[in-house]
Amino acid sequence: MILEELAFLVLALVAIATAIAALLVRELVHTILWIAVFFVDLSAIYFLLEAPFLGVLQLGVYAGAVTVLLLFGIMVTRKRIFSREAATGIGAVPFALAVVTFIFIVSVVGEFPSSAGTIHAYSPADLSQNLFNVNGPWLLLLGLIMLGAVAGAIYLVREGRE
Amino acid sequence: MTDLPLVGFIGLSAALLAIGLFGILTRRNFILLLIAIEIAMNATILNFVYFAAYTGGTAGLTGQSIAVVLVGFAATEVAVGLAIVLALNRLKGTINVAQATELKL
Repeated sequence: MILEELAFLVLALVAIATAIAALLVRELVHTILWIAVFFVDLSAIYFLLEAPFLGVLQLGVYAGAVTVLLLFGIMVTRKRIFSREAATGIGAVPFALAVVTFIFIVSVVGEFPSSAGTIHAYSPADLSQNLFNVNGPWLLLLGLIMLGAVAGAIYLVREGRE
Repeated sequence: MTDLPLVGFIGLSAALLAIGLFGILTRRNFILLLIAIEIAMNATILNFVYFAAYTGGTAGLTGQSIAVVLVGFAATEVAVGLAIVLALNRLKGTINVAQATELKL
């Protein structure tokens, strides 16, 4: 029991630290490394929450595909990959807005029971049963949106456009 | 079964959302902007997963299904975002969002 709480605490701290580091380091490639650690860390949190399918999906889609896509984006848009960004200031107003958002969301914690009971584990078989039967329309909608997005992306990067 | 405090999860996803919001508002590089959006989106997905884990039953399964669909949406969004990055880079030679002034009056 205490071991899981400790594991969650460490994983949460690592998630917050890597998210902040990803946005604050000045070399873009280091940003990608930090964000990869962030995605793997969130995947570990999903395994802790006994959602193995989502954990694997997080590893495959985020830590795999999204990271490589972002690296590809950096690779093709700059001449020297390891060049530094110009420093962007912290900005008082965005920081205050972020803090206010955090406090606003955390202030509703009292609405929920403090000890919410046990974590329910779902087998991937049950999940896919639900995903393809009850929530089938959402999956179809996702497929249609992905199709539209691919068509739009190809339109944006096509040749012969000035 | 494990029993983790709900407060910690709400605090974690609120913190991630705040970090993502901060990044969206301050970063000027388009790729950093995409990363900030991804951090905020991951906070949302984490929200769905832990409320699903604590709810149980069919409602919990639906929550996890929504999380699966959201992962797909996020990947799609990154793909379109990178297409915009490439188009902006070809048009302006930079990926600074401050340079994307095509539609400004």
